[in-house]
Amino acid sequence: MSNVKVLLFGAAADRAGTRQTKVPINHVATLGELWSALADQHPRLVPMRETLAFAVNGEYARMEDTVSPGDEVAVLPPVSGG
Amino acid sequence: MLFQILEEPIDVKALIAGAFHPDCGAVASFIGTTRADESAGARVEYLEYEAYRPMADKKLEEIGEEIRERWEVGYVAIVHRTGRVDPGEPSVVIVVAAPRRGPAFEASRYAIERIKEIAPIWKREVWSDGYVWVGSQVGTRVSEKPVT
Repeated sequence: MSNVKVLLFGAAADRAGTRQTKVPINHVATLGELWSALADQHPRLVPMRETLAFAVNGEYARMEDTVSPGDEVAVLPPVSGG
Repeated sequence: MLFQILEEPIDVKALIAGAFHPDCGAVASFIGTTRADESAGARVEYLEYEAYRPMADKKLEEIGEEIRERWEVGYVAIVHRTGRVDPGEPSVVIVVAAPRRGPAFEASRYAIERIKEIAPIWKREVWSDGYVWVGSQVGTRVSEKPVT
């Protein structure tokens, strides 16, 4: 069992009550599977699900993309720069 | 070319002057400044920006690359603030120098639209009666219905 580092930003950090967490995974998992584990840890994120984007190691990723132990996953609410 | 996420105030004059070049006949800039909105008897006191780094830095560079693929430009600078930005202060500065004015205007517009699409940067409006994360409508303002 090893961990994926999860960073949360903006409204997602606000609702989760943390800016960083660890999600244990056995081996390679999909981002969708990681999300399920994260949502169990932080159920207050669940209502935001449809608005969220995700990045794996600093690049936008889809729910079917894979994550491996040691990866960095970022939870990205709708961006609002400018 | 200059792409930067900056925690300190942006030196706008220096950025614009840095774009002047003998091969370029036009320098266009877009400067986004924080706006003190009012609603329900409350007002915005300041904005606070956060960025996912280094992904945000990389996205600004990508926008620069997209511009160079689409237009003939001599120089592109994109600088975005993080941290507290008071009303009327610049939060983003884009400067494009090009041989001719058309590409300079178009590319600077393109840069701000792309920032709003792909740059992992967020702003939180801090109001006199609470705060709200722009785009998510998550916050503490009593006059706004929060997401539950």
